[in-house]
Amino acid sequence: MDIIMPKMGESVNEGTIIKWHKNKGDAVKRDEVIFEISTDKVDTEIPSPADGVLSEVKFNEGDTVAVGTVVAILNTSGEASTKNKETISEPAHHEEEIKTEYHEVKKQVDETVHAEVVSMPAAAEIKSGSNDLIELTMPKMGESVMEGTIIKWHKKVGDTVKKDETVFEISTDKVDTEVPSPANGVLAQILIGEQETVEVGTVVAKLSVSGTVISKDEIITKTEDLSGSQKKEPVFVKEGIAQPAAMHDNFARTSITEYEEVKAEGSEKSGSNNGSRFLSPLVMNIARKENISFEELEKINGTGLDGRVTKKDILSYIETRSKTKPPQNQSSVEEIKKETPHEQSYEAVKAVPASYTASGVQPVYSSHEVERIPMDNVRQKIMQHMINSRDTSVHVSAMIEADVTRIYRFLKANRDEIQRKQGIKLTYMPFVAHACIKALKEFPLVNATVDGYTIVKKKFINLGIAVAVEPNGLIVPNIKNADEKNIIGLARAINDIAERARTKRLTPDDITNGTFSITNYGIFGTIFGTPIINQPEVAILGVGTVVKKPVVVEVEGVDTIAIKPTMALTLTHDHRLVDGMLGGRFLKSIKDTLESFSENEI
Amino acid sequence: MANQYEIVVLGGGPGGYVAAIRAAQLGFKTAVIDKDKLGGICLNWGCIPTKSLLKNAEIYDLMKNHSSDFGIKIQGLDFDFERIIKRSREISDRITKNVEILVKKNKVDRIKGFGKLSSKNQIDIFNEEGQKTNSITADNILIATGARPKVLPSIPVDKKRIITSTEAMILPELPKEMIIIGAGAIGVEFAYFYSVLGTRVTIIEMMDTILPIEDREVSETLAKSFKKRGIDIFTKSSVEKAIVKGNKVSVTITSEGQKKELSADIVLNAIGVTGNVEGFGLEELGVELFKNHIKVNKSTYETNIKGIYAIGDVIGPPWLAHVASHEGIHCVEKIKGLRIPDIDYNNIPGCTFCQPQVASIGLTEAKAKEAGYEIKVGKFPFMASGKAFAIGEREGFVKFIFDAKYGEILGVHIIGSEATEMIAEAGLAKSLEATGESIIKTIHAHPTLAESIMEAAAQAYGEAIHI
Repeated sequence: MDIIMPKMGESVNEGTIIKWHKNKGDAVKRDEVIFEISTDKVDTEIPSPADGVLSEVKFNEGDTVAVGTVVAILNTSGEASTKNKETISEPAHHEEEIKTEYHEVKKQVDETVHAEVVSMPAAAEIKSGSNDLIELTMPKMGESVMEGTIIKWHKKVGDTVKKDETVFEISTDKVDTEVPSPANGVLAQILIGEQETVEVGTVVAKLSVSGTVISKDEIITKTEDLSGSQKKEPVFVKEGIAQPAAMHDNFARTSITEYEEVKAEGSEKSGSNNGSRFLSPLVMNIARKENISFEELEKINGTGLDGRVTKKDILSYIETRSKTKPPQNQSSVEEIKKETPHEQSYEAVKAVPASYTASGVQPVYSSHEVERIPMDNVRQKIMQHMINSRDTSVHVSAMIEADVTRIYRFLKANRDEIQRKQGIKLTYMPFVAHACIKALKEFPLVNATVDGYTIVKKKFINLGIAVAVEPNGLIVPNIKNADEKNIIGLARAINDIAERARTKRLTPDDITNGTFSITNYGIFGTIFGTPIINQPEVAILGVGTVVKKPVVVEVEGVDTIAIKPTMALTLTHDHRLVDGMLGGRFLKSIKDTLESFSENEI
Repeated sequence: MANQYEIVVLGGGPGGYVAAIRAAQLGFKTAVIDKDKLGGICLNWGCIPTKSLLKNAEIYDLMKNHSSDFGIKIQGLDFDFERIIKRSREISDRITKNVEILVKKNKVDRIKGFGKLSSKNQIDIFNEEGQKTNSITADNILIATGARPKVLPSIPVDKKRIITSTEAMILPELPKEMIIIGAGAIGVEFAYFYSVLGTRVTIIEMMDTILPIEDREVSETLAKSFKKRGIDIFTKSSVEKAIVKGNKVSVTITSEGQKKELSADIVLNAIGVTGNVEGFGLEELGVELFKNHIKVNKSTYETNIKGIYAIGDVIGPPWLAHVASHEGIHCVEKIKGLRIPDIDYNNIPGCTFCQPQVASIGLTEAKAKEAGYEIKVGKFPFMASGKAFAIGEREGFVKFIFDAKYGEILGVHIIGSEATEMIAEAGLAKSLEATGESIIKTIHAHPTLAESIMEAAAQAYGEAIHI
């Protein structure tokens, strides 16, 4: 029985095997976890579909393979044990067998990828008027992905390219990937420079099978979509910029300004200012030789005069990079830039990411003083999301205290019974969620999103619940149409997503399309905090721990001190859209709902 | 409080006085202590007075040996040795006075006397008679006491017949014969000076070439030039003993395994220098030393004792005034808390002011290979320079050592007229991390000797025009 890389969501086309829980030859029970995968959406454990023995493991941990690829073979019959024996008695022979199969599978995978990458090369050849040229297009990386950014050209014009060798690297809003060559040849022409974002299907380069390089003065006008199934691509009028300037083979951005983009809607230029920092000729030479992009150079922590990047800095960066190359790293800054609106005015803000980069060189430490740990995917994503949020929203936090005596009493009296009858352990969270939903209905602007100069008011409430995942992860799955649920329903839904988050069984759907989030740091004993907004939402509610507090109350016109279970609630809202008045009213509404709780609501 | 300072600098040489001025500029209450005139060896007994002497030699050399080339007739050419020495002393006096003024102008307290550390925050001041005259406290103490000529028991310096560089600057009369032990910068500069004035000079060097730290080709070119002048050179030779016998000194050397007896009326000991670390309280405070020098952290220049710093010759090689000055500035800027890059010890120019002059920066060809670089070498002889031809200075060359992989300038070596002035360009190029291409593409004025730098770089890339 073949074990394949499962499809984890509409737009997910590949997954990375993080860990094999079973080794070759291990007996596996049905539903037992065989391996763990990571996609750009979620990490998941893959259970076995049947009882059997794992007879083959085709990929190593860390390998990224396309959805549908056979990653392992499970022997479910008695044959399994026989084959297993064979494995032991004739290891050499078996290894060879695996190798062959591996190659076959790999070939298959590659071909699948190529089919995606090069949209009908045969047609392209005819279109380009030459049998020699193969057009390389921006591959479609997922259903909803309409465009991609070229992060890096691994080859320059005139370079010999082998089949399957990486030609360029792209970043889409879903994934980053390296695009391999569909054939042997010579890179004849580069049409799209680094950091240029183009629609899927756009021809980005031409590969000459015979080795001809297209003259750089040639003017090409592309109007036709190549595969027909894809959206009409933008029209580029190119003028003599097929090749990057000789001095800057890897810094093709120099040519970007020469592009005249004839595109209906004005897409923002992603070419950032690269002249902000002095780069010595030697550093430039080293960068060119070692294929280091401007983006990377900008991330390097310079120790020279005025923070200049010196030879030493770049060489130690190269050393660190070659030791710990985080796969996503290269695009991290780019992604953030892309998602930052009004990029031009945010130059100063953009300089900041230099300080967080995983591989940013910090030569002030010697190796025995510190330990360098490459960030895993999840950490990198969290980092990017946090910085992105900080750079997107204007965070303002307001705090209110709610007297939760009624809920406190209710829980005290009914918790055990509800657990017995309904099988659910009730906490304060569903009450807060319920109050929150009520407030969101009352103030729908808090349930909105900012889209440029447009406010997108959502008619549905998908309530996000921040879940800490051991050892140091964080994910915010949301409860779809939370407004349709009562308190018990919310309690079940919260338990469900929290449980699935902790056991890595979330689906991509669970974490997309949230409209408002709640984070309960109270479970750690925190009284109040200032949470960061989960983009693209505009507010987040922080829930503090319930503490009994002495409170002044008026009893029959006389002030007296009473002991009240009190919960501090913080609303961090995006001041671009939610002002203090709205935020205050929203908080007050939650407070009122919580304080006026009555058992009828259950 | 008059006797309380934030920074006290012990020693007023090119490291000390510069550090003191920079400290005062940065707002520290600063004092500099020196028992002698400010300026240290450099201004009093080194760089400046010797350059003054060497100019005399150059002029005399030109007049005597080359005036006919220029069509100039000179009759009865002669020199006044006493006047030559006096000129050198006058220049030294003037310039040290200027330093005193400079220090005062910058509001640095100048304390004359011998400073001795009585604790890590206190310095007692003694007068010439050894009486304590004052005591001052300091938050930070910067030791810049420099170095002095190294003396070996086999070569007993009596300062009359067996002398050091100091006495060589103020000899009462021109010696007929002089043996110079040690062919570093000091040795070859005096060899040139005295040889031009007519002294029969013999150089004895332990290593296999004169100026052994320079690029081999440079050393060999200089040796050839010196031999042409009539200077005898014994390399791979060590001095067994030197004994004064009346008006002569007899020197026994072992040259390439063979014993030889030499004799001269003056023997100059120029085997090197040693740090001034004794007699001012370092031992008592437990300041860590190595090979007669103070051990410091080369980023902060702090010793193992917090608050005590040291810079310049007293912390060891390369024993150069310009390095001392930079270390002094760097040290006080670090105390101030400025964020500055550390001094790059691979980027220090070294100069020797004999004729032809020798100047270099970075790695020699041999050292570059030793360090594992794949190198590219570019060379341009002054013979091919129009300017050199015009001014009659056709000796020597410019040599570049590049890293073949990244194009880094690993080393630049110049031998020839004005080499010491030309090396500055290479220093800037290296500190700005320029590459060969940067030098080639920089327009150099014509006609200048400096064009040779551009040509030498171009030669490495096969782009030189004039060779």
